[in-house]
Amino acid sequence: MFAALAVGAFLLYPTAVPDDLALPAIDVDAVFGAGSVAEAKRYERVFYVLWVLAQVALLLTLWLYARRGVAFVRESSAGPIGTGMLLGMLGLGIVWLVHLPFRFVAHWWARRNEQSELGYLDWLFEDWAILGAQFLSICIALLVVMGLARRLGDWWWLPGAVVFVSIAALFTFVAPYLDFTTDPLDDPALLAAADEYRAEVGVGDVTIRVEEVSVDTDQANAYAYGLGPSRRVVLWDTILLPPFDEDEQKVVLAHELAHHSQRHLPEGLAWFALFAIPGAWILMRTTRGRGGMGAPAAIPLALLVVAVFQLATAPLANHVSRRMEAEADWKALQVTDDPAALEGVMLGFSETGLGDPDPPGWVQLMVGTHPTLADRIAMARAYASDK
Amino acid sequence: MGSVESAQQRPVRLVVRDDLERSRLTVFFRLVLAIPLFLWVVLRGIAAFVVGFVNWLAVLIQAEVPDSLHDFVASYIRYSTQVGAYVFLAANPYPWFRVQQDYPVDVEIDPPVRQGRWGGFFRLLLAIPTLLLATVLGGGFATGSSGQGSATASSSGDQEAFWLNASSVGGVAAAAAFLAWFAIIARGNAPRGLRDLIAFTLGYAAQAGAYLFLLTPRYPTSDPALAEPYSELPEHPVRIVVNDDLERPRLTVLFRLFLAIPHFIWLALWSIAAFFAVIVGWVLALVLGRLPDPLHRFLAAFVRYATHLFAFVYVIGRRFPGFTGRAGSYGVDLEIDPPTRQIRWKTLFRFFLSIPALILASALGGVALVIALLAWWYALVTGRMPDGMRDLGAACLRYSAQTYGYFMLLTDRYPYGTPILRAPARVEVEPVPPGTAPLLGDAF
Repeated sequence: MFAALAVGAFLLYPTAVPDDLALPAIDVDAVFGAGSVAEAKRYERVFYVLWVLAQVALLLTLWLYARRGVAFVRESSAGPIGTGMLLGMLGLGIVWLVHLPFRFVAHWWARRNEQSELGYLDWLFEDWAILGAQFLSICIALLVVMGLARRLGDWWWLPGAVVFVSIAALFTFVAPYLDFTTDPLDDPALLAAADEYRAEVGVGDVTIRVEEVSVDTDQANAYAYGLGPSRRVVLWDTILLPPFDEDEQKVVLAHELAHHSQRHLPEGLAWFALFAIPGAWILMRTTRGRGGMGAPAAIPLALLVVAVFQLATAPLANHVSRRMEAEADWKALQVTDDPAALEGVMLGFSETGLGDPDPPGWVQLMVGTHPTLADRIAMARAYASDK
Repeated sequence: MGSVESAQQRPVRLVVRDDLERSRLTVFFRLVLAIPLFLWVVLRGIAAFVVGFVNWLAVLIQAEVPDSLHDFVASYIRYSTQVGAYVFLAANPYPWFRVQQDYPVDVEIDPPVRQGRWGGFFRLLLAIPTLLLATVLGGGFATGSSGQGSATASSSGDQEAFWLNASSVGGVAAAAAFLAWFAIIARGNAPRGLRDLIAFTLGYAAQAGAYLFLLTPRYPTSDPALAEPYSELPEHPVRIVVNDDLERPRLTVLFRLFLAIPHFIWLALWSIAAFFAVIVGWVLALVLGRLPDPLHRFLAAFVRYATHLFAFVYVIGRRFPGFTGRAGSYGVDLEIDPPTRQIRWKTLFRFFLSIPALILASALGGVALVIALLAWWYALVTGRMPDGMRDLGAACLRYSAQTYGYFMLLTDRYPYGTPILRAPARVEVEPVPPGTAPLLGDAF
């Protein structure tokens, strides 16, 4: 199994970014301004501390729940799978409760630094909605896992992983069709650029849409999602506003289209499979002592195992994500041939989002899904000097 | 469940001596005839509110309400209960403009007792939950809840708001009275179940009023056992069985609605299948004269499952329910008799015949919802569910289950509206001797 996983990883690992690309050193104080960097670091430091505290609280809570959570079995009149669902949902609920103060402080901090205008009530309501979706997700996951485990015994993990990857693929495909919050892009210059880039990278059927977020935040963002005919690029409307100029907007558009042209979403699913298969196997092994995943008593422990597995694999998962983002940057540079615009985008991100351009190494390791702003500027400059 | 003994020991007790006989003529014009009474109740109510404020000061100063003030407000509560009974068809004689000593539906209120000053100081705040419940039960005028809806509607002028408010005016009592009106016009006497339900709502409103106006420090109880002295519980093919305890773990209470998400999805899917099963069952029942066993089992499991689920959601039940609706699997369970022969004409018109029961089930659903809201907070703080609320909630669920059991052809026996959960020990009540209680003609 491990050999097959290694082969899979080997096949997925290559990137369009030249292996010999040497990134120049960036003096962040000089590029972003010492004052801005200091302010961004001050702002981000609170989130770093909150993240560490939240992880510690999460693991402690789940450890306690793994030890004591079995007692909630008597609160169920349902069968084994229904009881497993109850225990799974209660575990998530406890985690949500424990995380609530951290998320509250994070939201307060973002509001205090004018990074969010979302009211506390709206924030809480949004949080409840997310919790509801999480409850539903864990019920579906447990229905699959426990159903398979009760039928197949210890071999559930293999079809289980396949089912999860299939569900992830289905969700990735369907998600764009469930989006009712975006509008078509109507900027003529960007539409013309989109036509040009789509033709150049060979993704003619990808639609471009705009999501209005400026009422709640000044932060800028964009994303690509969907599979095959459902592929889309969504730009936050904040990226269509100053300080981003038209060239910078075009490079963002090219970056997101590159995610589709480089097939990052199917690749992401393949990477997910590479994590899900050993993850399911570990889950099977660790829960054997409690009767396996077919027994409700194993669910609290399973939640702890999943949390530890996610934390342990976060550096690797983030590394894969960063490689994809770097590749999308590189393709955007090739398509637009405008490194100055990419550099401008990064400066804009720092300005509007108070993003730390050069965060500590451990932060990048554990939560960095994108290259640092400094690294992305370094790539733009490397591209310029290569040219 | 509560007990009859506790009902007798309550400081505010409803006494029912009604014989169910009704004059069709006065019932037909009941609302019009009651207009002068409404005006008089409002005027007396204003005075009672003023005196209630004085009572509040009296409790703060001397921890007791003076006898004269107590009697004044008690008289108002008795009178408003009698008027409520008249308007909602729980009694036949015209109540006139003063308290009738021998009225068929009356309230007994104990003399004043010493009260805690803190409880008195925060009385208005403490009364909010009971006023909420009294509003959805809607059995009287003592708390002023019955008139709020129409006032809002008329001031807004919005038609939709009017109908929404109109449906909430009087709550369960109004819905039951609305249905009783048709039954009385047709039969000349009040249906026992509806009368008992209306009487129960009147009794609760009287308790709420007495508590609000500081006639008693005892918090009102919604225990349906209070209705046992004047109610009966005939055999019915759909019965509720409550074996649950009153403990409620706070964690499962906090996330109760979220924990029910998978159940809601399952219920929605099952409902689609049940819809088609009812249509097929209706045709077969018309042809065969009874519902085939497999369909009966399927629909009975569906109704039982829905009862388990809503018992859980409304905090009436403690545990997370199963997904199959298996009999005996839940603390708040349904017993459903096996299929029997059904009268074909009842089957033919089942949809239309169900409408009155659905109206009352909807009103009782509002009560269950308020119970859920109040019980959620209570259980979150104390880790327990009040037994009165639990039992009233179970009674609401039973009526709903009987209604859907009827609608889904599990039985052709009509739902029974009594609030009590167990058959009372038979206590002979003395009916009002003919002629002693004034009918409308006598009153004039």
